[in-house]
Amino acid sequence: MDESPTQADWRRWLEDHAPRFLLFARHKARSEADAQDLVQEAVIEAWRRQGDGSPPPLPLVFATLRRRAIDLARSEDRRAGREQAAMEPAESWFDAGVEDRELKQSIQHALSRLPERYREVVTLKIWGGLTFAAIADVLEIPANTAASRYRHGLAELRKLAKTVLT
Amino acid sequence: MNEREDELFELELLRLKPAEPPADFLARLTAARPMAHSLPTIGQITAPPDRWQLLLRWLAPAAVAAVIAAAWFAGQPGPVSPATSLQAASPSGTNQVEIDRQLVSTFDAVAELPGGEPVRFRCREWVDDVTVRNTKQGVEVEQREPRLEVVPIRFETY
Repeated sequence: MDESPTQADWRRWLEDHAPRFLLFARHKARSEADAQDLVQEAVIEAWRRQGDGSPPPLPLVFATLRRRAIDLARSEDRRAGREQAAMEPAESWFDAGVEDRELKQSIQHALSRLPERYREVVTLKIWGGLTFAAIADVLEIPANTAASRYRHGLAELRKLAKTVLT
Repeated sequence: MNEREDELFELELLRLKPAEPPADFLARLTAARPMAHSLPTIGQITAPPDRWQLLLRWLAPAAVAAVIAAAWFAGQPGPVSPATSLQAASPSGTNQVEIDRQLVSTFDAVAELPGGEPVRFRCREWVDDVTVRNTKQGVEVEQREPRLEVVPIRFETY
């Protein structure tokens, strides 16, 4: 039995979900190239782990992506002279119409300044489409903690975005 | 009041959609479609007699790496010997050889040493695109060879 996805299934799945994986990876990586490599490694590994040719569940892909990002960050931390601060986003994280352009810029700027523990929960909930239970699995935290971080993160993000706009 | 503002703010966030990935990246991802073999799982290695422990401490990871490589190669189509292609193209004149290496995917496997110490194997799948040209005879032979690279990594390094 062929356990590989067909080319059409694979392409359709990537078109549906690659944007949300790349957004999450961009928050974790220090460069666009690293973010793209993380997404590629994670989606291939998650499909292999699924093992039956069907698409892996999104939480599995996000969890794999997060583990790979942690591995990468640890190996990079050993290298002297690497940049320490979070990457200022060079790429556009969001697509938006003309009327939302200002909102897009303020949110992108605010997100890059949001503490990581909040940013990952907000990103997974709003743009990853995950439930708190799934977020809890991905981040290896209790579901109540995920919900609490989401509320705090949302409030903090709103404050940061307002600061950017004023 | 704050809750209401948060709800409105949440709706605004939902209006934003994650940006589409760059076209070249999407093309790279599409080309990396996972093929039909699942991630190898490796059982615990049985503890040997004490006097062999030191030797097996190093032999065990090498053996596991060999098993992974053998399992992976078993799933690949039979390769055509590049030497054969080379001979066909080179009765006379000079051969130009180009090798293009493309990383297809990476995955990890984990095993335990006899002492219980975990070892991670970082496995990388490559495709080597070998092109041999004989300009004098006007012959060009192209050969795509899959290759598996297995590197044992101690957990302490992570």
